[in-house]
Amino acid sequence: MELFIFNSAEEYLGIDANYVYRVVEEIKITPVPMAPPYYLGLIYYRGELFEVVDIVGLLGSGKAKLKGNPRIILLKWSDKKLAVIPDRISGLLWIEDKKGQDTIFTEGNHSVRLITPENIWKRLLELPYGPTKISEDF
Amino acid sequence: MDLQKYQKIFSQESDKYLKELDRLLIRVEKDLSDLELWADIHGKIHSIKGMARALSMDKITVLGHAMENWCKQFQEGTMDATSDNVQLIFQGGDLLRLLVARMDDISSADDQRWYDTLISQLRKGPEATSGEADQKRPLSRNAGSYVERMDYVRVKYSLIEELLGLSQEIMLSEKSLPPLSLEQISYGLKNWIDDYTSLLKGLHFRLAQLRLVSVADFADIFVKTIRNLGRENNKAIKFEVIGGELEADITLLERLREPFIHIFRNSIAHGIESSEERVNLGKDPEGKIVLDATRRGDSLIVKLSDDGRGIDSEAIKRYLRDKKYMRDDQIAQMSQEELFDTILSPDFSSSSTTSDMAGRGIGMNVVAQAIEYLGGTMTINSEQKKGTEFKIKLPVSLSVIYAITFRIGDYTLSIPTSNVVSIDQMESFSNDSDSYYNLKGLLGIQDSKGKLSHVLKVRYLGTKNGSDDGTRKEIDVIVGDIVGNKPVMVMPVGELLGKANIFSGVGIMENGEISILLDFENLPEMPMH
Repeated sequence: MELFIFNSAEEYLGIDANYVYRVVEEIKITPVPMAPPYYLGLIYYRGELFEVVDIVGLLGSGKAKLKGNPRIILLKWSDKKLAVIPDRISGLLWIEDKKGQDTIFTEGNHSVRLITPENIWKRLLELPYGPTKISEDF
Repeated sequence: MDLQKYQKIFSQESDKYLKELDRLLIRVEKDLSDLELWADIHGKIHSIKGMARALSMDKITVLGHAMENWCKQFQEGTMDATSDNVQLIFQGGDLLRLLVARMDDISSADDQRWYDTLISQLRKGPEATSGEADQKRPLSRNAGSYVERMDYVRVKYSLIEELLGLSQEIMLSEKSLPPLSLEQISYGLKNWIDDYTSLLKGLHFRLAQLRLVSVADFADIFVKTIRNLGRENNKAIKFEVIGGELEADITLLERLREPFIHIFRNSIAHGIESSEERVNLGKDPEGKIVLDATRRGDSLIVKLSDDGRGIDSEAIKRYLRDKKYMRDDQIAQMSQEELFDTILSPDFSSSSTTSDMAGRGIGMNVVAQAIEYLGGTMTINSEQKKGTEFKIKLPVSLSVIYAITFRIGDYTLSIPTSNVVSIDQMESFSNDSDSYYNLKGLLGIQDSKGKLSHVLKVRYLGTKNGSDDGTRKEIDVIVGDIVGNKPVMVMPVGELLGKANIFSGVGIMENGEISILLDFENLPEMPMH
């Protein structure tokens, strides 16, 4: 399996390269109200909408450091689309064994955690959306 | 001379004139002595005749000339027009339409008989033909069965110019591809791709608009049909369109054409009373049929309603007892909706006599199937002596609406323009109760995030348990800068944001920027500030 490896919040993450549609940059992320903290917003790219997530925050490993105009990894699978923001892109890695979601394997001096977009999606679905606490501060 | 090319122009132009002719005749029917209208009608027929003569289309030329003679007399005031005269000119318009479509060719004996009869009547003169106009045309088609297909849509010329301009820019962009030296590849190519992508985005947005047609244009095709159906049944009918500015995909609307004709046909045959009966009931002598279109989330909702006598519940119950062998207690347990849905059964007919016009009510079953095929639903509401409403909800894959787009805190949001009553500056905002919807509080926006400078008065439909409760509500909402009244391409909100239940869609503006469309009907009730 060919993995696309990137780094976010000091953690190396790997995703099946077949799910990676594009890596883009300098695209404006539009924030959306009443979305959970790890839901960063929306981007519109070539006629399609992608939902941008802080993947590290979502996986509980910390919080992504968003620099101005970050590079964004666009993922597509079945009829779904997501976008994630890495701190750094490492590149492609071929691994022999097909490992499962959240498997951590070691490559050189680094541990790489495998993720799947479907699992990210399921976690996003579990989060609350919509009005929760109505602020009276005005 | 390229004959085919000129024939195509003749066909397109004549179709346009014939549509306008119908509208003018419907107007002059209400005011027979309006000389200006007769002058316009004369002009339309004259234009068609002139083009036909240039193409040596003799039949159209002769017919046009005969109709023109009448119009000239009415226009000059030398003869008073009667409603029978107008009816004959309507028939002349129908015959012109047939001849234009067939390029002046008459192939059937029936059509030839129709042509001969009409020319003979026109040549006799207006005063000789009063009282003869109601004789049936020697055609097997009856009123309401012939409705134009929407072969053309009107496209704004400015839109076509924009498309052509964009295409030209794309071609020029390709020519300006920078030389591919090692240092320049990534930077120069990147810039080129960015420009190219930006142009493609604009092209995509405008090309999407070409597939859209307004509900008003779609409803136009029913105007004459309803008029003819009313006349054939001796009923005065007024047709009103609400939400005509809404646009939807032409293929979706086209598939609604036949189901809608059938609903109108049933409404006029069974629903709306005669003028005399209506006056006795204290109603306006003119019956009303309304087509009301709104957009809710990613659905198009079209309501077809009349103010007639309502669906005969007793007839439905008789049918259930006699044909479905239901007991009275079983029937009593049925909800109103279930009772009215009975008319969608294939063998249902509440009419003791059938009329050629409405048939046996078999069509309602076909109407329901057609709407189901489109992925939609239909509900029926009716009240005795008040009228009947068919509410059709359809998914729309794509639509463009105008929306008031504004900023509040870090967010760019939109509300459909049709829901915005007014926009005021904060300084001039005067509300005696000082109560307004606390949108900033709802969105959790900090005080420091942007100044609030405008007040939108928003109108929306009240809901109860997720359905319309028939009320209209208005609230004042304080927002920041107004971006403008913008056309936005509405995309579905998706599974994740759909869980919030307060967004009706994601709007893409012409420059590619995103705004989120608020669904006021689902915003939570809040203590007003």
